[in-house]
Amino acid sequence: MTAGANGVISGQLEETVAWFQEELGQNDDLVCRRFQVMGRFPAALFYFFSLIDQQLLNEDILRPLMQPPSEDLKRLCEMKTLKQLLSEDVLPFGSLKFEQQKDKLISFAMRGDTVLFVDGIDEALVFSCRKVEKRNTDQPKTESVIRGPREGFIELIENNLSLLRYRLQSRNFRIKLLEIGQRTKTRVAVCFIEDIANPELVSDVINRLSRVKIDGVVSSGYLEEHIEDNHWSPFPQVQYSERPDKVVASLLEGRVAILADGSPMALLVPAVFSQFYQTVEDYSERFLVVSAIRIARLLALLFSLIFPSLYVAIISFNPELIPTDFAVAVAGGRAGVPFPAVIEILIMEVSMEVLREASIRLPVQIGGALSIVGAIIIGQAAVSAGFASPITVVIVALATIGSFATPAYNAALALRLLRFPIIILAGTFGLFGIVVGLIFIVNHMLSLRSFGVPYLSPFVPPSSGAVRDMILRAPVFLMKKRPESWHPQDDSRIPQSGGGKDQANEAAGRQDGTAAGGEGNGS
Amino acid sequence: MKQVPLTKPQVIAILINSIIGAGILPMPLFPVRAAGHGAPLVTVLAFVFAYAALACMALLSSRFPKDNFVTLSEKVIGKWPARFFTFVFACYLGMLTAFTSREFGEVVITTVLKSTPLEVTVILMLVLGAVAARSDINTFAYMHMFYVPFVVIPAWLIVFLSLKNAEPLNLLPIWGNESESWLAGIIAVASLTQASFIITLVVPYMQQPEKALRTVSISMLVTGTLYVAIVVACVGVFGPEEIKVLLWPTLELGKITSLPANVLERLDAAFLALWLTSVFTNILSTYFFTVNAFANVFRLKDYRFLTMFLLPFVFVLAMQPRSIVQMYTKIYVIGRIGYLYMVSYTVIVFLIAIMRGIRGRKDGQLLPENG
Repeated sequence: MTAGANGVISGQLEETVAWFQEELGQNDDLVCRRFQVMGRFPAALFYFFSLIDQQLLNEDILRPLMQPPSEDLKRLCEMKTLKQLLSEDVLPFGSLKFEQQKDKLISFAMRGDTVLFVDGIDEALVFSCRKVEKRNTDQPKTESVIRGPREGFIELIENNLSLLRYRLQSRNFRIKLLEIGQRTKTRVAVCFIEDIANPELVSDVINRLSRVKIDGVVSSGYLEEHIEDNHWSPFPQVQYSERPDKVVASLLEGRVAILADGSPMALLVPAVFSQFYQTVEDYSERFLVVSAIRIARLLALLFSLIFPSLYVAIISFNPELIPTDFAVAVAGGRAGVPFPAVIEILIMEVSMEVLREASIRLPVQIGGALSIVGAIIIGQAAVSAGFASPITVVIVALATIGSFATPAYNAALALRLLRFPIIILAGTFGLFGIVVGLIFIVNHMLSLRSFGVPYLSPFVPPSSGAVRDMILRAPVFLMKKRPESWHPQDDSRIPQSGGGKDQANEAAGRQDGTAAGGEGNGS
Repeated sequence: MKQVPLTKPQVIAILINSIIGAGILPMPLFPVRAAGHGAPLVTVLAFVFAYAALACMALLSSRFPKDNFVTLSEKVIGKWPARFFTFVFACYLGMLTAFTSREFGEVVITTVLKSTPLEVTVILMLVLGAVAARSDINTFAYMHMFYVPFVVIPAWLIVFLSLKNAEPLNLLPIWGNESESWLAGIIAVASLTQASFIITLVVPYMQQPEKALRTVSISMLVTGTLYVAIVVACVGVFGPEEIKVLLWPTLELGKITSLPANVLERLDAAFLALWLTSVFTNILSTYFFTVNAFANVFRLKDYRFLTMFLLPFVFVLAMQPRSIVQMYTKIYVIGRIGYLYMVSYTVIVFLIAIMRGIRGRKDGQLLPENG
């Protein structure tokens, strides 16, 4: 920006217009509309037509401004200044503010606000009549459920925040807005419930976010990389979700949600490993069934991590472990295969990875063809060509399916990656190697922290209450406490006797003057 | 990262994992050599002895809640003698690390990875321990908490699965037939618990240092029951004469067990692989506190570099014995000498502390008794 951007505007319309044109005039979508306010005062209206609700502008701003003043107004003119008159009597417009600072005016215009300069007023009037193309709120694609709400976040942050506010009508629900990104000036909202979330956690989140130095926040993933604890770990330390109900549930547990404008994914911190095999639906189905399903998911996780390497270790080093009949069958299947088990598995795993990657990127129409080709090549042809044994195909398929069964895609990715070093270790040292690999992985996970919370909690360190929602899920009426891992201020989910009102009052007393930063929240 | 004081379960886990290690594989051999059929009784007595020694350490340490072994010794017996004796302690912990890795390395190359060089398995174990030992005390405690079930449950599983082959007659008479070498047997078994001496270095990190004695009691109870159960199972299954010709009776016990329904035909390789966790936690404990002790002796603030610095020394030490026979001779000799050294040193320091009437305050200052 040029030096002219600093300072305040003067009341001289021509001077101000010249300055504004110089700053933003190179953009062909900037509109400068000159007219006379109430037929008397020269004025100029600036806006980007690409960001504006034209109808709103015409109806609610231009029409009242350009109407000749009525008798009442003329009488009022005598008593008030023009600025007062405009804001108090002329403009029937909700979000109107006055601004003097030049650089702020520029950023308001960039954001989609309309700026009005009137000759003789040394403050500009800023109207927010932004309208950005958005898609409808529809079903979340990555986290679909059979039973549960069907709403998902969209790109617009106003919309996402309203989805949250609608679900969480608590006076203690707080939204703090930050602006991140040197060039994109992306609005980032930090959401939490004041009397539940640990204040240290909240200030840690805000601290880390305000330290982010980046030119643009294109999606919330950019933020994730900046605020996570360990950058070198394959494991995700921040959870993401596009489901408002999941975010609200997390907020109620005492966690903090981060939403970035332009990204339909909310980030949830802190994140621990056990969340990555839990889903929202776990809480809407019968607890017994869900507990069984969770065990199945954990098994799937284990499958995807160690099944291929177990096979390699047992075949190459300890065939005596498996029953003799089976060992004979496996050996028979492998009879024509020229490679050692570890090479065979590695080849199959790599081709499976390629196949999977290909199928994600392909358009839906070709995807079907690919899966046929993949299934035939990997499944049938590889075996009959003597390239792989049938049992290898089974093992690789199980491992792949296992990684699909993990609800969190990013956690599944981590385990998918870690499978390869373990296969190599198993090929070198057998079962011994697998355990070495697992110990390395577990040690790494134990050393991870997400915003100060140990990554493997509530397993380690164990907390008595969390046992109810770890591997098994207890019925909801037994989960009276919020998870201890997040150190919530108010650890009881069920309001104490006396009802929620007392609690709210008490909480209000605890507020230390942090008012809700909910501006720009109405949409 | 913020350091949080260790809770009681964490310290118990650390102690259990430190006690149970590679030494459990040949363990039934010692009481059987000493007392034949009376081996279980010898084991019980050994644990009573070991408990007394450890309790002594726990009491001494909780007398100085904010001091580790090095600083408290300095307060009791003076700066330089204390530094010398604790330096020996640190070296001794390093030696334990080396021999544990060597012992398990030998077990692995003898039973599963027959064509793998010994150096590879030993260095693998040491690297595993050294990398983990670079973590802070909380992560260290988390590791122990996480692995404790993987250490205790397989061991109990072996005991239960093998008991169906046991012959109760083998356990009689419970006081045994040979009684001349009981003391040696007791010391031999008791010295297997030597890695638990790290309690003297753990106490200052504890939330409630005054509970040190309770943590020691619980962990000794857990491990003691397990050891006695393993000896009972071994003697019951094999009989004393058979055990005397076995190198690793506990491992043999694993070999004869099988799961019902013929899911897995043999379990020894799987057990051995699982057993790696126990050896790992053992090495982790001794390695972590070797580094910790050295750092305390030399007053080093940042001692993470020491973990990697010590690695070659420990490795060379581990490769010292030329054969498995020589290795066990060295382990026995050094283990016993070290054990008795530590026990007598602790008792002496404890007595001097009582006689001089000094105890540490919560803030680490000295406090005259009754003052």
